[in-house]
Amino acid sequence: MKTAILTLVTTFAAALSLQAQTTLRIRGSDTLGAKLVPQLAEAFKKQGGKVSFDIAAEGSSTAFTNLASGTAEIGMSSRKVKADERTLCRSKGVSLTEFEVAWDMITVVVNKNNPISDLSKKQLLQVFAGDIKDWSEVGGTPGPISVYTRNTSSGTYKDFMGLAMKGREYGTNSQKMAGNEQIASEVGSNPNGIGYVGYAYAGAKGIKIVSIGGSAPSPAAVKSYPLSRPTFLYTNGAPTGTTKAFIDFCLSTAGNAIIGKAGFVPLSIAK
Amino acid sequence: MDRPTTPSRPPLRSVLLRSRKHTVLGVDPQHLIRWFFGGNASIAVIVLVLIMIFLLREGIDFLPTYRHELQTYRRAGLEFCDIIDQPLQQNQTLSSSLRQAISASLETLSKSARDRRDAAFLLKRQIEDKTTRTSESLSQALEKTPPLPPAELAKLRSEVQKAAAAASASLTYPDLFSAAEREQLQREFAALTPEVTDLPPLLQTLAADFTAKDREARTKFASLVQAQEEFEAATEPLQAVVDELKQHAQETKENAVEFEVLETNRLRLLEAAAKEKDPDEKASLIKEASASFTEAVNLAERIQAITSRATELREQVEKYAQVIEKAAAVLPTDAGTGVARTMVNDVREGIPVHAQAMRKAAAQLDSWRWDKPVSIFTVIGAFFFGTSWITNSSWQDFFGFVPLLSGSLVIAFIAILIATPVSVVAAIYTNQFASEREKELIKPVIEFIQAIPSVVLGFIGISLVGNLIKDVSEWSWLQWVPGFPIQERLNMFNAGCLLAFMAVPTMFSLSEDALNNVPRAYIDASDALGATKLQTVFRVIVPAGISGILSAILLGLGRVIGETMVVLLVAGNRIAIPDFSAGPGAIFQPAHTLTGIIAQELGEVSRGSSHWQALFMVGIVLFAISLLVNWCARAVARRFEPHKA
Repeated sequence: MKTAILTLVTTFAAALSLQAQTTLRIRGSDTLGAKLVPQLAEAFKKQGGKVSFDIAAEGSSTAFTNLASGTAEIGMSSRKVKADERTLCRSKGVSLTEFEVAWDMITVVVNKNNPISDLSKKQLLQVFAGDIKDWSEVGGTPGPISVYTRNTSSGTYKDFMGLAMKGREYGTNSQKMAGNEQIASEVGSNPNGIGYVGYAYAGAKGIKIVSIGGSAPSPAAVKSYPLSRPTFLYTNGAPTGTTKAFIDFCLSTAGNAIIGKAGFVPLSIAK
Repeated sequence: MDRPTTPSRPPLRSVLLRSRKHTVLGVDPQHLIRWFFGGNASIAVIVLVLIMIFLLREGIDFLPTYRHELQTYRRAGLEFCDIIDQPLQQNQTLSSSLRQAISASLETLSKSARDRRDAAFLLKRQIEDKTTRTSESLSQALEKTPPLPPAELAKLRSEVQKAAAAASASLTYPDLFSAAEREQLQREFAALTPEVTDLPPLLQTLAADFTAKDREARTKFASLVQAQEEFEAATEPLQAVVDELKQHAQETKENAVEFEVLETNRLRLLEAAAKEKDPDEKASLIKEASASFTEAVNLAERIQAITSRATELREQVEKYAQVIEKAAAVLPTDAGTGVARTMVNDVREGIPVHAQAMRKAAAQLDSWRWDKPVSIFTVIGAFFFGTSWITNSSWQDFFGFVPLLSGSLVIAFIAILIATPVSVVAAIYTNQFASEREKELIKPVIEFIQAIPSVVLGFIGISLVGNLIKDVSEWSWLQWVPGFPIQERLNMFNAGCLLAFMAVPTMFSLSEDALNNVPRAYIDASDALGATKLQTVFRVIVPAGISGILSAILLGLGRVIGETMVVLLVAGNRIAIPDFSAGPGAIFQPAHTLTGIIAQELGEVSRGSSHWQALFMVGIVLFAISLLVNWCARAVARRFEPHKA
C-alpha cells in the first residue's frame, strides 16, 4: 500500500520556539493529497502561517472515517460525502461542512503507442465494464485490453463509476492499483493498457490522453468534458482559527493560482 | 600457568545453605527468578491467545451481518433482478467475440491501410515529443498580452523549425512507406509547428485511404456486421425492463438501509437520554432522537411492484431468446480469416446455450420468494465458496473468498516450486560437499537474504523483475512457453519468484539443520559398506533427514502464505479467479491475495461495518491456514523422525 504520509514541517527551529504550534491534520483523497494540498500547505506556510501540516492521502473514504473519529481537522474528498458517511459522522457528533475547492477532470489514458485516440462514451463504459475485451473491437491493434482502476477506497473509483459507467460494476478483469502514479506507470509499460488518472497526472511518461466522444480534457473545456467533477474539503462544523485561515487561503486568488499550476481547474474558471 | 590455591574459599555446602537464608518479602529469590522466566514464556502464550480472541471477536459477527445484508438484498428485490441480469451479461461476451471476428475480417482488406495510417501518426507523435520544449515556449509566447515583438517571435519560430527538422531527420521510417512517401513525410514533419492545426496532407490522405478501405470491407462483410448489430440490439427491450426494476429495487434498498441506520441511532440517543441526569441535555438528546426518525419501508408493498412484472419479464426473455436463436441460424459462415471463422462458429454454438440459460433463469422467477429467510449455511457458503469479491459497490457488496484464496494458493505454489529445489540442493551441498571456507561464505550470505525488507523486494519486483520477465517473454525463440508473450508485468509468477527468494533462507537453514541431525553412525556404516560419497548422500543422509526437509518446506510455505507487502505490490491486484483454461500460462495472470486484500482495504473501511468484519474473517482464515501448516510441519517432523542410533 502506498502510504503517502508527508509530514511537512517539523523544523528544528520551530520545535525550539516556545510558541505553541498548531498542527493541521488533513486526511483523505489521494487525488488531492498527493500533489495539490501539500503545495497549498507549503504556500500557506510561506506566507506566514505558523502551523505544521500532517497530510495522509489514502483515499476519500478515509477523510470521513478520520473526521468522525476526530483524528483529522480537514478531510479531502474527490467526491461528495455519501449519505451513510454523513450519518456515521452525525452519530459521532460531527456535522460536516463542505467546501468546493477545485474541479478535476478524470483523464482516460492509454499507452503512447496505442493508435486509439478517441473512445465514445458507450465504448468507454463497455471497456471498463469488461464487455469489450480486445482492442480490435474499438478499431485498435488486436490485443487483449488490460484495465487499470483505482482501488475501492478511492473517490475517483466511485466517481468514474457514476460519470462514465452509469453505475455498472467494473469488469472482473480490472486491476486495482494503489494510486494515480501506479496506474500511469503500468499503462506506460503495457501497450494494451488503459486506465484513468486525475488530470494532473496525465502528463506522465509513456501515456497519452484519450478524448471521450471527441471531447478532450483541458481547463477551458471543463464544463463540456464528460468526466469533470468537483473536489471538496470537509471540516467538522464551521471552521475556526487556523483551519479557517487555510481554507480561505485555498479559495483565494493565490490559492487558485496554485490549483491551476497543479493541474486542477480553479473555481474561478470552472464557475 | 600455575594458580595460587585459595584456601580462604568457604566450603560449598555452607554457601548453598547461606543463600537460603536470604529472602525478599518472605520469598526465596530463586523462586522469583523462576517466576520471572516462566512469566516471560507465558506472556508469549497469553499474547497469542489475546490475538485469537481479538480476531474472533471482530470477525465472528461477520456471519450475522452478512446474513442481514443478503436478506436485504433479497427483500428489496435485488436478487430478483440479478436472476435475469447475471446470465444476460453473457450476451456481451458473445458480442465481444463477434466484434473481434468482424475486426479480423475487415483487417484482411484494410490492414495495410490502417498500419500505414497508424505508423504515420506514431511518427508524428514522436516528432511532437521531441519538439515539446521549443513548441511550448512558442505557443506560450503567442498567447502573451501584449504580444511579443515580431523579431522575438520569428526567433522562436525558427527554433521550432530547427528542432522539427532535426527530429524528422533522426527518425527511422518503416518500410511500410515507399521512398517517395518517406521523403514527403520527412518534409511535412519538418514543417510541423504549433501554429498549424491542420494535419499534414499525406497524413490526411492516409487517413482517408483507411476510411475508404474500411468502408469497402464493411460492405463485403455486411452480413456479419449486421448480424452483430442485431444481436447486440436484441437485448435492449429486455435490458430496459430489467434496468427499470433494478432502479426500483435499489431505491427500496437505500430507503431500508437508511431507515435502519437512523433507527439504531434514534434508539441509541433515547437510551442515552434515559440515563442522562441533566434535564437540558436530556431534552436535547430526545429532540435529536426525534429528528432521526423516518417512515419504515413497506417492503411487501414495494416488492409487489417488482414481482408483478415477472410475467412481462418472462415474455421478454422468451422473445429475446427467439430473436437471438434466429440470429444464430442466419449467422454467415464466410468470415475473413480462419480465426474469425472459429470465433463466429463459437458464437453460433454459444447462442443456443445462452438462450437456454436465459429461459432457465426466467423459469426460476416463479419459485423466487422475497420473504424466504436466508439460512446461516447459505451465508457460510456465500463466503467460503463465493466467486466474487465486490466492495464499495453501488448495487450490492459481495464477499466471496475463492478469488483471494486461489490467488494466494497459486502464488504460494509457484514460490514453493521454485524455492524447494534451490534451498534443499544448496543445503545438501553446504552440508556434505562444501569446504569449511565455502560454508563460511554460503551460510551467512543466504541468511542475509532474510534481512532484506519485503517492501524493498516489492520495488525490485515492480521495476526490475517485472520488466525482465516481460522482455524475456518477448524473445522469439521462447514463444513455445505457455502464456508467452506476457501481457502484465505484475503477475502471479513475478510475485512467486520474489516470495521464493524470501522463503529460501528459512528452508535452507532448516534443511541444513535436518541434514546435520542425521546420526553420525548412519554415515559411518554407509562408508564402511564401501558406498561412494554420492551414494551415501542420496541413499542414506537425505532419506534419513527427509522429515526435517519436509517440515522445512512446510514452514517455508507458511512464510510465503503470510507474506503481504510483496504480493500487494507485485501480484497485480485483480480480484478474479485465475482463468485456468489458459493452461499453465495462467501463472502469468494477475491476482489478488488474502493478505493483500487486508492490507489494501482495512485502512479505509469504517470500523464495525460488514466490509471490516469480512476482512477480519479473512484474517481468521489466514490464521487458521498458518496454524494448520505449522501443525503439519510438526506432525511430519515427528512422523518420519529417524530412530536415534
